[in-house]
Amino acid sequence: MRVLHAAFAIILAVAWHPAHAAQDDDLSLEDLTKTEVSSVSRRNQSLSNVPAAAFVITADDIRRSGALALPDVLRMVPGIQVAQVDSGRYAVSARGFNGRFANKLQVLIDGRSVYHPFFSGTIWEYDPIPLEDIERIEVIRGAGAAMWGVNAVNGVINIISRHSRTQAGGMVAATLGSNGQGQLYTRAGGSIDADTTWKLSAQGRHAEPSRQLANDRYSEDDLSNGVVDFRFDRSLSGGSDFRVWANAGKSSLGDLYPLTPNPLNPPTLTPVSITQKISTQTLGGRYRWLNRAGIESSVQASIGTSSIELKGAFEVNNTQFDIDYQGRYSFAEHDLLWGASHRTVSDEVWSRYVVEIGKAEFTQRTTGFFIHDNWTLIQDTLQFGLGARWDQTNLGGNTFSPNATLMWTPTRKDTLWAKYSKAPRMPARAEFDVTMLAGYLPPPNPYLPAPYNLLPVVFRAQPGNASLRPETMEGFELGYRSQLSQRLGVDVSVYRYRYSDIVSSAQGNMLFPVFISGVPLAVQNLDRNNDGNGWLSGAELSVDWLLAPTWRMQLSYACTHVNMDDSANPVARAQGLKEERSTARHYGSLRSQWNVSSSQQFDAWIRGSSGIDRTLSPYTTTIRVPGYVTLDLRYAYTLNKDIELALTGRNLVGPRRIEYVTDFVPATPVIIEPSLLLSARWKF
Amino acid sequence: MRAAASSSPRIRPLRWLTIWLLTGVSLAFAQPDSEPQLESAYLVNFLKYVEWPASNRSTATICLFGRDTLGPFLSGHEGRVIGGKELRIRRVHSPDDMPSCQLVYIPDVEEARIGAVLRWIQGMPILAASNADGFARSGGGIELLRNGGRVQFIVNAESLSRHGLNPSSQMLRLANRVIGGDR
Repeated sequence: MRVLHAAFAIILAVAWHPAHAAQDDDLSLEDLTKTEVSSVSRRNQSLSNVPAAAFVITADDIRRSGALALPDVLRMVPGIQVAQVDSGRYAVSARGFNGRFANKLQVLIDGRSVYHPFFSGTIWEYDPIPLEDIERIEVIRGAGAAMWGVNAVNGVINIISRHSRTQAGGMVAATLGSNGQGQLYTRAGGSIDADTTWKLSAQGRHAEPSRQLANDRYSEDDLSNGVVDFRFDRSLSGGSDFRVWANAGKSSLGDLYPLTPNPLNPPTLTPVSITQKISTQTLGGRYRWLNRAGIESSVQASIGTSSIELKGAFEVNNTQFDIDYQGRYSFAEHDLLWGASHRTVSDEVWSRYVVEIGKAEFTQRTTGFFIHDNWTLIQDTLQFGLGARWDQTNLGGNTFSPNATLMWTPTRKDTLWAKYSKAPRMPARAEFDVTMLAGYLPPPNPYLPAPYNLLPVVFRAQPGNASLRPETMEGFELGYRSQLSQRLGVDVSVYRYRYSDIVSSAQGNMLFPVFISGVPLAVQNLDRNNDGNGWLSGAELSVDWLLAPTWRMQLSYACTHVNMDDSANPVARAQGLKEERSTARHYGSLRSQWNVSSSQQFDAWIRGSSGIDRTLSPYTTTIRVPGYVTLDLRYAYTLNKDIELALTGRNLVGPRRIEYVTDFVPATPVIIEPSLLLSARWKF
Repeated sequence: MRAAASSSPRIRPLRWLTIWLLTGVSLAFAQPDSEPQLESAYLVNFLKYVEWPASNRSTATICLFGRDTLGPFLSGHEGRVIGGKELRIRRVHSPDDMPSCQLVYIPDVEEARIGAVLRWIQGMPILAASNADGFARSGGGIELLRNGGRVQFIVNAESLSRHGLNPSSQMLRLANRVIGGDR
């Protein structure tokens, strides 16, 4: 009751002061040029007239988060769930269905997808772009398939890089921290003439291994990442511009995979050291122009190669070509967008040991078209949006993704929107073709009569008899956004989605005895199919509150509920139950940004999640990942406008904990430890 | 029950203290302090410091193009009388919306569409303003920029005169930079 009173009093006092807004325009132009921006919030976090659950992370937010890895920045977005697996691996998803290979979230950097074409999902362990080079990140929860294509099922993360015009001069940023963490970023930029600018940046990042949950010994997850990014921009006359970029990245990350059956102690598997190496190279260009009729066009093309290698076990090399056209034409009450894209990915796969690939080489071609219209029905008040996208691929067939929105803005400060969408997820090449270890059950085994029941069982996931179909999601969302006062903004959204044909599996035949490393085993095949179906519902809240000109608080909270159907297929039912239990019900954070003085910042970030149950892959046993609440603190001191020093503490409170246990790939859970980081940024 | 009753007299002073403190904080806020608030105040001021060709309109309209980042901050000014004209705010999306605008604001998140909007308003008595970097140099009228801890502006006098607009000498004097024109 006391809390309630206090909260009511605070809201009343802060939200209710109509007088002050009106005073702004009494300031003369001269006064305005002299006014210091004392406020901590430089930009709006929400876009008030977008009919979707949108959130913007600014460059300032990124810096003040103290994070070194991109996924840690995303933790501030309501409805995005981030869980750190080890020093380099993360599980990131929007609105449930999380996993290290979470496959329903699309990630784009300047319009180019970094969703991996072989595995489904984004590989978070390498750094695709230095955080310093990001202008802003626009996160849209909910389906974006009608515009961004298959796999944008539960959300889209649009990373927008900084224009080279804003990166002239030199910069060095260095961070040193506990657990052997270190990062070094350097940049040089310049202009060739008034309309032509360039930038070259490079970043290296390192982390020493974490400690294992089981025995407190060091694991082998030492991380070394490097990325080089070049950008060239040229503005042409008449609103046209041209850009070329080149990017190369490398990542090396160790791991311990419990894989080899131990003949001396059959219930356990002996860990095998495996180093994962990633390398990527991309070269791309974009041209935007405006024609006589007023049609705005943009063509973007890129070519790239990438490889992922698990030393001695697996290697995939990709060559990728993308071309994308987008057009836009606004007339009368309409704002029309359309586009076409094509992607060719040729891969070569080599594997032995635990992974087998049906086809060693494959070329996947995907072509898509979309059209979208935003139609203003009542000026300033009511807007209707309708769009659809069609995609065709030689692996999986055709998909159709429609989308309809209605947005009502009764006042300048309030927006109410509703959205219907249908989005497909196309199973990845690996899902069609891979045969791999999916689980290990020590004896006694319930499937076989004596004496075979003394054989351990190895579960093996393999392609089923029928080819996989695309998964589909269909659902509704509702949202309300309000700027209650100049300093208090609220954003709420709720959704309910139906998922059909989720990739699952059925019990196949059993082989016994099979000898692996001299140990007799039974092999239970699991044939992949589309037997998964279920419901997802949830709600998200974000509050942005400027308590004082120098003090801002931001709350984000999401609750997520997965309810999979009870399938007649026992394997699919068990997998559905696992999905339900591995989704955190509650997830949220509260950030405080305080400008102590013009040269000092003090930020605090309380983050938390409720607990989940994960399968301790490759064993079939379940491990509890407890809920947690932790705290990050950051203090920054600006010596002058070019030099900033910062001390950051991450994961400062709470018991020793694991945050996640990875899926599919056998793993050794590790402790997420508190860490201290000292950073310096110098612009010259 | 008794516990609740006995605790309430202790709450009251606390509550009043909170209200009093926060009201104090609110009053200290009287001047604009966040970037969108300042930008909104600038837009309203531009209507006073720029002379439009004579017309018999009774309103002055600020149009917000595309994704709206200032609407909630401008709404407090709506309906005010500026230079004898009533201030209106509109959200605009297409060329057909333009003739009703005196000032069109393009936020930096719509940077990709600046060229198109400038094309739409060619030759019309409309002032284009934006906080996108390089806006004034690429033909826009007034660019708002962050300079240290302040928000300042660059005027493209040539662009203004192409639109038949006449910036006051005081405004040119206060500008961070003036492109084209006499200065």
